[in-house]
Formats: sequence, C-alpha cells, structure tokens
Amino acid sequence: MDFSFSEREEAFRREVREFLDVSNPHRVVAAGKDAQSDDDVESAMDRLPKLLAWNQALVEKGWVGFHWPKEVGGGGGGLIEQMILKQESGKARAPMLGLSYMGLAWVGPGIIKYGTEEQKRRFIPAILEARDHWCTGYSEPGSGSDLASLRCSAVRDGDHYVISGQKTWTSLAMWSQWMILLVRTDPGAAKHLGITCLLVPMDAAGVEVRPIKAMNGETPFAEVFFNDVRVPVENRLGAEGQGWDVTKHALANERSSIAEVTAMVNHLEDLKRLAKRCRSNGRVAIQDPLVRQRLARMETMIEAMRLTGLRFLTKQLRGHEVGAETSVNKLLRAELEVEIGRLALDIEGRYGSLVKGSPGAIDNGKWQRQALTWPSYVIGGGTPNIQKNVIAERLLGLPHDA
Amino acid sequence: MDFGFSADQEQLKAQVRRFLDSECPMDRVRQVMAAKESHDRGLWSKIAELGWPALTVPESFGGLGMRWEDLVVIAEEMGRSLFPSPFLASAVAARAIALMGSEGQKSRWLPLLASGDLIATLAILEDSDDLSAAGIGLVAESDGEHVVLSGSKMFIPHAQAAGLLLVAAREHGGISLFAVPADAAGVTVTPLRLIDQSQRAARVTLAAVVVESSDRIGEPGAVWSDLAAVLDAGTVVLAAEMVGAADAALRLAAEYAKVRKQFGHPIGRFQGVKHRLAEILVDIESSRSLVYFASWAVDHQEDPRGAVSMAKAYASQALDRAGEEGIQIHGAIGFTWECDAQLYYKRGRYCRNLAGSPEYHHERLLSVQGI
Ligand SMILES: Cc1cc2nc3c(=O)[nH]c(=O)nc-3n(C[C@H](O)[C@H](O)[C@H](O)COP(=O)(O)OP(=O)(O)OC[C@H]3O[C@@H](n4cnc5c(N)ncnc54)[C@H](O)[C@@H]3O)c2cc1C
Repeated sequence: MDFSFSEREEAFRREVREFLDVSNPHRVVAAGKDAQSDDDVESAMDRLPKLLAWNQALVEKGWVGFHWPKEVGGGGGGLIEQMILKQESGKARAPMLGLSYMGLAWVGPGIIKYGTEEQKRRFIPAILEARDHWCTGYSEPGSGSDLASLRCSAVRDGDHYVISGQKTWTSLAMWSQWMILLVRTDPGAAKHLGITCLLVPMDAAGVEVRPIKAMNGETPFAEVFFNDVRVPVENRLGAEGQGWDVTKHALANERSSIAEVTAMVNHLEDLKRLAKRCRSNGRVAIQDPLVRQRLARMETMIEAMRLTGLRFLTKQLRGHEVGAETSVNKLLRAELEVEIGRLALDIEGRYGSLVKGSPGAIDNGKWQRQALTWPSYVIGGGTPNIQKNVIAERLLGLPHDA
Repeated sequence: MDFGFSADQEQLKAQVRRFLDSECPMDRVRQVMAAKESHDRGLWSKIAELGWPALTVPESFGGLGMRWEDLVVIAEEMGRSLFPSPFLASAVAARAIALMGSEGQKSRWLPLLASGDLIATLAILEDSDDLSAAGIGLVAESDGEHVVLSGSKMFIPHAQAAGLLLVAAREHGGISLFAVPADAAGVTVTPLRLIDQSQRAARVTLAAVVVESSDRIGEPGAVWSDLAAVLDAGTVVLAAEMVGAADAALRLAAEYAKVRKQFGHPIGRFQGVKHRLAEILVDIESSRSLVYFASWAVDHQEDPRGAVSMAKAYASQALDRAGEEGIQIHGAIGFTWECDAQLYYKRGRYCRNLAGSPEYHHERLLSVQGI
C-alpha cells in the first residue's frame, strides 16, 4: 500500500490548482461559506456563456476527455492524473470537466471503441468543444430495469433505418443535438441480440420531444416519440445486433467514483457547517448526539466509498477489469444521496420545509432541492434492487431471479 | 498511489490460509471452545515454528520487521477461521514494547516474544466504561527502586495464556506502563466466561505487586498518548479479524442459499435472501477498505484516530449484520449448536463493544476533528 503521489503527479496537482484559481467560474462560491443552489439545469443555462468559456479553457489544456486517446483529440492522460484532476476540481467546486455531459460520460467512449473513423472525426471534437450535447434513448415506458425488453424499432430501408416507437425519461432531450438510441432491429432474435445502436440528430423529421416535470419542479427529462424517423445507415454505432455490447462497454472508463465522492465530501462539509448554525431539539444541532452519530456514519460511508474506489483504480492500474464490484459503491451512494437531504432537513427542523425563494429559507433551499432530487442518482443509473441482483448473482454466484 | 496487496502480502495471505485450513478447521475451534485450557498449546507451537510471532517484531530483536499492514492481512484470515489464539494480543503487546521500551527492555522481551517462548498481553482497561486515561485507577507507588502496583484490570485479552502483562497504572497524576510477569506474587488471573467461547479474556487483579522501577516502560506518568496509539493499532487488527469473520459468515450463508430449496427453488433466488446477502457484501467490502487504510494510517499518518474509528465502527456493522443474517438464512438449523453460523454471530457480539462501540467511534471521529 502506498498513498503517496510521485513528484510528477504532485506537479500535475499544482498545475491543476493554479488553473482552477484562474479559470474556475465557481471560485467565488467555493471561497464563500456555503454553495447556493446553483447547480440546477435552468440556472446552468443562464450561466452558459461562463460555462462555455470554462469548457474552452479546459480544451486548451487537453483536460476534456482527459483519458481519451490523443489520436481522437483526447488528452491521452493517465488514470491517476485523471483522478487528481477530478479531485481538485471537485474540491474547488468547479463545474463538470466538460459540458457535453453524456457525450463525455458514455457516448464518446462508445464511439471511440465501436465507431468508424468518419464517426470519430464527426462527433468527438464536437463533444470535446461542447458544440454537441447528447441525450440517451434507452428507457421506454415498458422497459426500465429490464432494458433488453425494449421495443422501439428500426427497419432497414435501402441505406436508411426507419425508426418508430417511443423513449422516455430521456434526460436533457430538449437541449440536445444528438441522441444515442437503442432500437430493436431483429424482433426474431434473442432479446439481447436483436438490439442495435443508432446516432440520431434530434432535429430529424418525425422526432417529437415532450418534456416531463419532476417532483422538484424542474424539467430534467422528456418523452421522445419517433414517427418514421429516417437516419442514414452510417449513423449506426457498431454492427447491427451489437447494440447491447455497445451500451455495456460504453460506460464510464474510470471506476474510482472519485467525482461522486468529492461531491459528497463537499456536501458533508456543508452539512457540518449547517449543524453548527441550526438549532434542533433545544440545542445547537451539532451538539445533538443523534445528529453527531448520523454525521459520523455518513463520513464513514463516504470514506469507505473513496477507499473502495481507490482499490478499484489500483485494480485497473494493474491491468485488471473492474466490473460488478462497482455496484458496491453505487449502493453506498444511493444510501448517501437520500440521507444527505434527510439529515439536512432534520437539522433545519421546522425551517427544513422552506424552499428556494421563501422568507427564512436556509442556504436558499439548496438542501430541499437535494431532498427532492435524489431519485435522479438513486433510480437513474440502475435501481438499488438491480445493483443488489448484480452483486448477488455475479459476486456471490446466487441464482438469477428472472 | 497503490491500494492493493503486494505480491508478498498475497503470498503471506495464501500461506496463512493454507495453514488455517489444514490445522485449524472448525472442529479444532470447537475443541478449544470446549476446553478448559488457557489456549491451544499445540497450535501455538506450530505457529511459533512457522515464525508468525516474529513477523512484526523489529529485525534487530529477532523479528522479521514486517509492517502493521502485513499483520492485518493475517488478522483477516484468522478472523475468517475464528482462530482461537493469543497470537494477535501478543503481537500488539510486542508493538508496545518495540515502540515504547528502552533498548534494555526490548532486548530482554522482544526476542522471547519473537520466538514464541513468551506470550504477552496489554492490561490497560478496567471496570470503568471510560476508554481514556481517566478510566485507569490501578495505582503505582514508588520508593525509587521498587514500585508497588494495586488494582484490578478487566477484559484483558488472553491474560490466562500470557507470561507477561503490560500493566497501565496511575502514577504522578498520569499513566505509566509496567512489565509484570504473570507469575509475580500478588497477581491473580480470573478467566471470564465469554459469549464467544473461542476467545479468552480475564480479570487481572494486582494485590500490592512489587516490580523493579526498571520494569517501567517509558517515562513515569507520561505514556498515555503512546499507549493509546498502540491500543488503536490493536483496534485495527481487531477490526480486520471482524471483517474476516463477517466474510466467512457471508460465504457460509451464500453457499447454504444455493443448496437449500423451498417452493421449488434454491432460497438464494428469493430477493429477501439474495438482497440481504448483497447488502452484507457491501458492508464487508466497505469496511475492508477502511481497515486496510487504517492499518496503513497507524504507521504513516500523524493522527490516525479518525481512520481507526471509521474502520472499527464499520467493521462492527458488517459483522453484526453478517452474524445475525447468517443465522436467519439457515432457518432453524441456524439456531443449532452444530451450525457454524452461531460462531460468527457470537464473535460479533463479543467484538462490537470491545475497544469501543460503533457509537463511541462515531463520536470520537467528530471530536478528533474538533467538532
Ligand atoms: C432523473 C432520471 C433520469 C433518467 N435519464 C434517463 C436517460 O437519460 N435515458 C434513459 O434511457 N433512461 C433514463 N432514466 C430511466 C432510468 O434508467 C430508469 O428509470 C431505470 O432504469 C428504472 O426503470 P423504471 O423507472 O422503468 O423502473 P422499473 O424498472 O419499473 O422499476 C420499478 C421498481 O421495481 C424494482 N424492480 C424492477 N425490476 C426488479 C427486479 N428484477 N428485482 C427487484 N426489483 C425490481 C425497481 O428496483 C424499482 O424499485 C432516468 C431516470 C431518472 C429518474
């Protein structure tokens, strides 16, 4: 075991810090006492010019697509440096390391692995420069956890596919230029094998987007309808029938969960400060033994997540695959996301019911937003029950239940 | 940055596992549980022959100079086998002498501990629930040359097997530490009947026990912070054993869930069973990460107390759940004396509040941050 960093890695850390001191558009927030609720989608749109400048500054450094190969325009960086970059920018509460969120998270990696040279040239630079935003068309009304049962179909017609059907819960659909779409091309094949991946322009004729309002009042996702939408065959990613593999392998290329962990460390710091400011049950909340137990338990879980992430990273650095184990951290995260909002509102006591804009609202309703937004993280990427199935079946060898 | 076992550690782990599988299967553990002896001398002489007691003793005193991280690798395997031995207690006592003793004391005791000819244990805590120095009431009175020790120690691990007790005493308003031969006049060791019969602990009473002032380890009245650090290193080892025990309980239950059929299916197909097992695995992997890190922290971090507290708190949760659920998943068989599930459960009950409950460690985690 060795938790030190090499001289080169430390130099890189200094470089990142210097960069953030100048370029981080949130540096005022980071320096201030408590972050406001400035991370919701709408206000992100208001701050767009600043964010685009941030993206540009990152691109010039080669820090968008940090771990992607240089040939496609990525940074060609190592996993440890990538972790340092995420750690430092997280600590500084900087925006994401590149604005094209899904483009960077899985569309880009999918194109790099399965795409043609032409697709790489066409899509990768636009993702890096945040010209193209992507959305993900996997889930359907009838296919959520059982994604492979999807029915939205594409039929080959000459050198085009004709798509008809519906997707739902499509995050950012209304702001995206492109969608990575899973369709059924072979209804006769076994359910995992009849699926193909297509790259679809959102302005294609026959694509209709209907936004869906979430319980936090925001509109993070939409239903997307396809009425005989024609896309050229060259927009297919991977081979016909290979869509399932493309999806599986396209997932994030780094398994240390470091970005999520740093975000939660920030939450924890803010929660401790909150507990020093608020009174609950007749005393300052930080003196309440129950609050203290919950804070300490939260810290312990976050630290466990951080360290388990480092074990995964080490495994990757030693050239091994990291697979089903990542569900361990996903489950911890799910528990933490719920508990963060719950604890904050408990600490605030009666004031915990006041949302953004209300007289008396604490931290401008940031914790209420957390308490109303956790399902994005808990349900969005595979529900806890599904993660538990993965662990039980793949790590403990227990039988499949379906 | 590298957070995994080294090749040497993997090798050590495999060696220890091979030994435990062949020499200490569960029926051997059960023999020790039923026995009246202080410990299994046969097992002790075998591990002494293999050189285990020497592993973490410094090389200059007859040891192999391995790190605490390496001991944790072994401790996890021992926990998996519920290894009934004073081995870890003695290793922690050796660490105290190595870190706090004079050259003379080190050369007197460490080679004996390394060879396995002597077993030692720390006799620090008493009846008080206070785990700080304030909980120590045993008194040392000195006339310059001799020191007289009077008082009583409680929950002293493996005291009945020990030839040497390291006794904490109140002196000059602070805490001193003395090396006391277990056969010194006035020392009484009374075995406790533990919920976990695979373990041993005792009450140790010192009725005006006379020792030489040269048996004082460290400065008079000034060793508490060093001693507390050694206790923390011991807590990490305990937590590692707990992780190993939890993992064994999980594997036992998971294997049973694959073969026991009800309603036409293995019970491991029902999510009420499989999801509980998955949750336990999450607890185990999480506490394992914390324990490995804490084992590194005790030798590398300025103040490892937070890391130690997190490891112990989470390991308790893991073993609590694995022990309890391990019984339930076995159904009525789980309630039988014959089923091994109960053994892990008992280990969990014994360890949870040993060296500080999870609640204690949660509180300490915040207080060391000044919160
Ligand atoms: C904020 C947000 C953003 C999203 N963004 C996108 C997106 O951009 N693109 C996209 O394609 N999808 C997106 N999704 C959809 C997401 O992937 C699905 O919601 C998720 O896979 C679960 O599917 P479902 O909602 O249909 O729930 P269901 O699958 O119907 O599950 C309902 C409940 O049943 C449980 N359940 C289901 N199967 C089992 C089983 N075998 N065993 C035990 N329990 C089971 C689940 O755990 C859950 O509690 C998003 C969701 C959210 C909340």
